[in-house]
Amino acid sequence: MSNIKIQQWLIGIFSVLLIVTLMIVATVEVKKTQGHKAEIDIDKVSNQCIICHEKENIAVKQIDAWEESEHAVMGIGCNECHEAEKDDFDAQRCPESDFLIARHPTPKDCAECHEEQVNEFANSKHAHQFWLLKNADRAILENPIATRHGCEECHNIANMWPDGSVGECDVCHAKHSFDMAVARQPETCGECHVGPDHPHIEIYLESKHGNIFKALGNEWDMRYNTTKNEPIPIEAPVCVTCHMDGNEKQPMTHDVSARLATESQAPWSFRTVWDEEGLGSWEVKRERMESICNSCHAPSFVDMYLLTADLVNLQYNEIRRFFVYWTKKLTANGMIDRLKADGKYYSDPVLIGYDETPEVLMYHSWHHEGRRFRHGAEMMGADYTQWHGIWEIQHNMIEMLTWAAEHGDEEAQIWVDSNDPIKFAPYALYDIPGTAWGISAKANTTPYVYKYDDYWDRIKANVETAYNTGFLSEDQWNLWMKRYDNKEHYLGLKYEADVDSTWNFYKDRNDVDTEAFIKQAVNLELPGKSFYEGK
Amino acid sequence: MRAKEWIKERFPIDYKKFIEINESIFIKEPIPVHMKKWLFAMGTTPFILLPIQIITGILLAFYFMPSPEMAHESVRHITEEVRMGFWIRGLHSWGANLMIIAIFLHMMRVFFTNAYRKPREINWIVGFVLLMLVLTISFTGYSLTYNQLSYWAMTVGTNLVKEIPLIGGFALELLRGGESIGTNTLTRFYTFHVWLLPLIIVLMMAIHIIVLRVHGVSEPEGYEKGYYAFYPTHFFKIILATLFLLSLLSLLAIIYPPGIGVPADPLNTPLHIKPEWYFYSVFLFLKFIPIKLGILITGIAVMGMVFWPFIEPFLSKDEKKRTIISYIIGALTILILIILTLIQTFTL
Repeated sequence: MSNIKIQQWLIGIFSVLLIVTLMIVATVEVKKTQGHKAEIDIDKVSNQCIICHEKENIAVKQIDAWEESEHAVMGIGCNECHEAEKDDFDAQRCPESDFLIARHPTPKDCAECHEEQVNEFANSKHAHQFWLLKNADRAILENPIATRHGCEECHNIANMWPDGSVGECDVCHAKHSFDMAVARQPETCGECHVGPDHPHIEIYLESKHGNIFKALGNEWDMRYNTTKNEPIPIEAPVCVTCHMDGNEKQPMTHDVSARLATESQAPWSFRTVWDEEGLGSWEVKRERMESICNSCHAPSFVDMYLLTADLVNLQYNEIRRFFVYWTKKLTANGMIDRLKADGKYYSDPVLIGYDETPEVLMYHSWHHEGRRFRHGAEMMGADYTQWHGIWEIQHNMIEMLTWAAEHGDEEAQIWVDSNDPIKFAPYALYDIPGTAWGISAKANTTPYVYKYDDYWDRIKANVETAYNTGFLSEDQWNLWMKRYDNKEHYLGLKYEADVDSTWNFYKDRNDVDTEAFIKQAVNLELPGKSFYEGK
Repeated sequence: MRAKEWIKERFPIDYKKFIEINESIFIKEPIPVHMKKWLFAMGTTPFILLPIQIITGILLAFYFMPSPEMAHESVRHITEEVRMGFWIRGLHSWGANLMIIAIFLHMMRVFFTNAYRKPREINWIVGFVLLMLVLTISFTGYSLTYNQLSYWAMTVGTNLVKEIPLIGGFALELLRGGESIGTNTLTRFYTFHVWLLPLIIVLMMAIHIIVLRVHGVSEPEGYEKGYYAFYPTHFFKIILATLFLLSLLSLLAIIYPPGIGVPADPLNTPLHIKPEWYFYSVFLFLKFIPIKLGILITGIAVMGMVFWPFIEPFLSKDEKKRTIISYIIGALTILILIILTLIQTFTL
């Protein structure tokens, strides 16, 4: 072969090879950069649904949402979820075709692919039927029509379907995009976890967690995968980060009860026994939650924070005991009546009533203020523990005792007549020296109750009882004792003298302020009299 | 005629001389007959693609913003909102890919026709430098899109620089403008991409063509001898090639428009990081051996290629033998590059 022929063959072969290879590579690469819009490949039936729905303009936005979903990418069309058998409770014929379709895809349908998630959900308190088991109380006060778009709308998360499945997945996973970012958005939880009875979204948004979310959340990719035991990719937690998402140690779960150690929604706070055989004791559940907390916080902070929240729950029980004592007593004395139906009592002195002031106060002190008091403490919503919580509970207490005194109860009258400041704590107390945040050199010199010499001994006895009854773990008791044994340090009392000059600086400023308002406001006398004066 | 006179008055140069020079350099430049074969026209393609890249690049620069916050967003804006933006970006992106392919093809032709041999060794080296410059400008351009793929490709690419002996650390700092990729890196890459590298490329290409013209096109042995004038045959051949390339680019830009990808997230390292495809062979090679050794071998191989015209005479004194050895080495090199590239393409 001549040299020219060899050259031509070599160049020819390698030109073709190079061009073909490099075009293949470049094309594959370009396709990768187009990652967002995947080709959608669905079966004929689903295709027909979409064609007709778009032609007739029926729920077309749902089709748009589905097109953005992972379902669409995976080729899961309408038919996979909306397929129905003839005898299915929700089977209906499409009026424009002969397709038999399921009106309501239920968790049973979702479980065909997402069995683990559906099972986890069904085992969680989200699926619990407590709202039906206990709803007789409110159902008499509320009108049925109000329940349709009222309580039912939220409690449908535990809907019991005729096919036996429980739940409503799209309560969080908004159909038909089923977008993880929507499910993760705190406001999605806040659709229900809002308002006076359990203002969880408000508490969250008030907390440091929520503040960071508000400031930086719009930069976070909320579609992250949390099933691979990888670090939490966002800077501060949203609701599901703590209650559902995984981290390096904890698996992701749809069982929101898996990490809850305290039942603090119920009339009494208690350690959870929910699905103990599946989830383990409350201590195991607490460990799960702490594992998530420890992604960001030091364990010592977490332990102290949660112990304090637990003591708030214990304190709530003592307040609750006070309200129960009084409603029971007032019922027994005939000052308040129970509701009756068909010759039987309908209401319960410790739960419902509504038509008389003490009953309403007792109910609110549990269902509204009592929860806010506890949940604020659990989720860093200080204002909810304080002003929306204990402050209102105490006012309920004053109102109840005043009502009882006005209606002739002697014990209540003695309370009303008492001038001792300690009357505002007519129940046993819990406490812990100091806070999780640091040492405050002055804050613990102010509470009135600290004047009692045996204050900390009484508190210790109460906390020890809580430990002995199993509400507190051994580690928690040891932590409490560590604080108790070093209370002068943790209460900051031993540093009181050290901060005298700082204290006096602010004291002087305060004196200047006081002088100013006395001069500007208190001592001000206006020459123009009130028009009402003398009428 | 008045206009002509007017111009002549303002620019009193010797127009006859000008026309003569023009005729001798361009119009009547004698082109060897073998150049009528399309095979020998591959060197023209990068020359045609360069102005296309410059024009489309200028249009893209109207909208592009080189900051970590805005880079990806402005690419999205160009692609999704600016009128014909996706097309211009497609032409530019595919133009870059074609440029690299065209240079490879041109180099291969030069190699197998032994056109690099004495006295044209320097032009081979200039050409090789042009290849390196084009690879660098493509890398910087790809990085500017600032999506997850390009961000991490940029990380991998610049990390390699660190391994260069002695100056690695300094070079990395110089490239990135800091410890990690960020604002400074983007503005640096932008500066390299939009004027520094284009300027050098234009100058080098000018040198490449001047050297070519000074020597005259190399005439491989065995072809019919004879010449024809540059204009019109060869001139229109170039026009034809330009039209073909424009159509091909436009077609590719429409059928496979480059996507925008997911915005770069420095905190989220993807499972699989890759550089751009033209670095696949080197990238895959470096995966299998210790990085320092790998870079050393790659460096030696590149230097071998650069100085091939000077190395080749040492292979054998017999020119025929030398040619055969060259062909084998050339063919093996291309095959290895193709195989490594394909493996990396289809590996996650």
